[in-house]
Amino acid sequence: MSAASAVAPVGPPLLQRGADLAVTTTHIVVAPIVVALVTAILTLGTRRFERLQRALSLTGNVVYVAAVAVLVNEVLTGDPLVYQVSAWRAPFGISLVADALAAFMLALAAVTSLAILAFSVVYVDDQGQRVSYHPLYHFMLAGVTGSFLTGDIFNLFVWFEVMLMPSYVFVVFYSGRRHTAAALQYTVLNLVGSALMLVAIGGLYATTGTLNMADIARRLAAPAEYGVAPGPVLGLAAILLVVFLLKAGVVPFQFWVPPAYRAAPAPISAFLAGITKKVGVYAVVRLYFTVFAAGSIPGGLGLPGFAGDSFLAYFGPVLFVLALASMVVGGIGAVSRDNLDDVFSYSSIGQVGFIVLPLAVVATVGDHSFGAAPTELQILGVTAALVYALNHAVAKSLLFLVSGAVFDAVGSIDFADLGGLTNRRPVLSASFFVGALALVGIPPLSGFFGKLLVFDTAGRALGAGAPGAGLALAGALLGAIFTIAYLSRAWNRGFWGERSVAVEQAGQPVSLIGIVAFLALVVVAIGVGFDPVYQFADSAAEAALDGEGYVDAVGPDVVGNATEGAAGNGTAGGAHDIADPAGAAEVDAPAGANGVSAR
Amino acid sequence: MTQVVLALVLGFLFALGTYLILRRDIVRVVWGVTIISQAANVYLVTMGGIAGRAPIMGHGGDNPVACSMPGAGADCVTDPLVQALVLTAIVIGFGTTAFALVLTYRVYEEHGTLDLGEVTVE
Repeated sequence: MSAASAVAPVGPPLLQRGADLAVTTTHIVVAPIVVALVTAILTLGTRRFERLQRALSLTGNVVYVAAVAVLVNEVLTGDPLVYQVSAWRAPFGISLVADALAAFMLALAAVTSLAILAFSVVYVDDQGQRVSYHPLYHFMLAGVTGSFLTGDIFNLFVWFEVMLMPSYVFVVFYSGRRHTAAALQYTVLNLVGSALMLVAIGGLYATTGTLNMADIARRLAAPAEYGVAPGPVLGLAAILLVVFLLKAGVVPFQFWVPPAYRAAPAPISAFLAGITKKVGVYAVVRLYFTVFAAGSIPGGLGLPGFAGDSFLAYFGPVLFVLALASMVVGGIGAVSRDNLDDVFSYSSIGQVGFIVLPLAVVATVGDHSFGAAPTELQILGVTAALVYALNHAVAKSLLFLVSGAVFDAVGSIDFADLGGLTNRRPVLSASFFVGALALVGIPPLSGFFGKLLVFDTAGRALGAGAPGAGLALAGALLGAIFTIAYLSRAWNRGFWGERSVAVEQAGQPVSLIGIVAFLALVVVAIGVGFDPVYQFADSAAEAALDGEGYVDAVGPDVVGNATEGAAGNGTAGGAHDIADPAGAAEVDAPAGANGVSAR
Repeated sequence: MTQVVLALVLGFLFALGTYLILRRDIVRVVWGVTIISQAANVYLVTMGGIAGRAPIMGHGGDNPVACSMPGAGADCVTDPLVQALVLTAIVIGFGTTAFALVLTYRVYEEHGTLDLGEVTVE
């Protein structure tokens, strides 16, 4: 599933051999994927031995966190790491790219996933864990990891599917009336989304002649040279955007979110809201700000409200409207729900609006063309989105886990049955309070900085005279007020007040509360020690906006320049001699023997 | 000629799939999704340039150019890569269709009906 753009003339060897087979630092790029896949298979094979299975599952996740930590360290101290799978050179093979952006998202996934898995081991019933929980969990994690790392757009489709398949099963995990209905909706919607994604990717291959993301960016930057028509690419990119926004649960693709999150087991709701949602966000940042930003339509589309000729100038206003709509729809929905899960689900819709809003604001600001240095405001906007994504991942996972722990203790998450938990289960209530304050944005919690950066972006854009920045500021304010409203309502009805009968008889799930409290401490720690997090997000944003740096790092060969024909191939081949002469002879042989045209 | 026919067939398949997805019967909805994903597969094959020469070593002349390349001439070679992509997509589609059908059966067991109007989330 790779990007070969031409049926290559027989000169340049596509496969590098010899020295490339030695293990180098670039191999660490595949480590998280391999760890997740191996763990999934091991837990599948040890279903008869429950304790062993759980131990393997947890160990696998710890090793995953370690692999991500090593990878993050390598990326932050050096250049982006690029691993060409099976040593097939880009753009012919699949490239796995770990730059600061991918590393940031991986770190987010790693921290959250470990807490979620630890919670699951205690929370999910034995039968469920034995049958399928652990393998599915790690397959889902592998899908997420692959989506963050891949540099090949078809491979992105494959990882999306790897991520989605287990999530279908998880939504129907309890298999009751409500769960089957929610899963049906979720599955059908995502299957249609997958077909759309396939259509968009096939079209992109036909119009740009490549599947390698870096190669797409380079070709879009010089459309005349490569014979790329920018118009169709813009349309296909718009189709692709629908798929990513569906995954992120942005209005108008949000209606699957509440039933699916309500039906899935609590830790999986935490995973879907905390991590899977961020894959959609990541794909928008990576593809639209790194790759498609290189494209432009000379003269612009000439539609009202769309100024400028860069691709991002078209996506900016679209994202802007959808982000505002998400905040309002999510806010109104969350204020009127009467159980914890539904409040958090609608809250997710609103919060993802906060993530998309700064992206939308900076999409129309300044020069996004290929090779242009990103401005301070652009970097600030993407940093705001990433910091907010991190905050939402940790805080929303925490809240869903709190909901799970409440269900385990009290036996219900409906506000009608709750009340008075504060002095009955103080640690659990305090954890909810921390998560809620983080979403609201109270210092020194992580959410404060997320909100601050979002408002800072909108304010500075307003100062720079960007269109719509005032509206962005007003929308963010409205969204923040909604957040305070629905979370204080949940607090008042669920945790304060008279003790209900169910709460009076509540159990004491010590391990669950311990894990939840630990995650609450992580939320506090991210806020207190925010400086390194900010530095990390800042370099991730710079990487996201540096299309040229991305192309240089991946280094796809210059091929398929139809106007230059074989010349381009020749030079590329010369630059990549292979170490194995036998291989070279093998590849070269047919040129002499069969180089006769059949027709 | 083949291209025109294929374009029409593809349009028909997408239309049929969309029609079926909008039905109330769950089995038809699953059929609709399946047809749309198969139509996407056929569409993907056409992206390689079906009018080109066979992608066999030696059939492309001295300087073969894939039909999927922007600016490829009339004597281009059909791009075999899309066929590899389609194989992957078919395998994924097989898995998801199987799951969707099992899910349909579970929905029937839980709700006693296949009418989407009666299968509610609450």
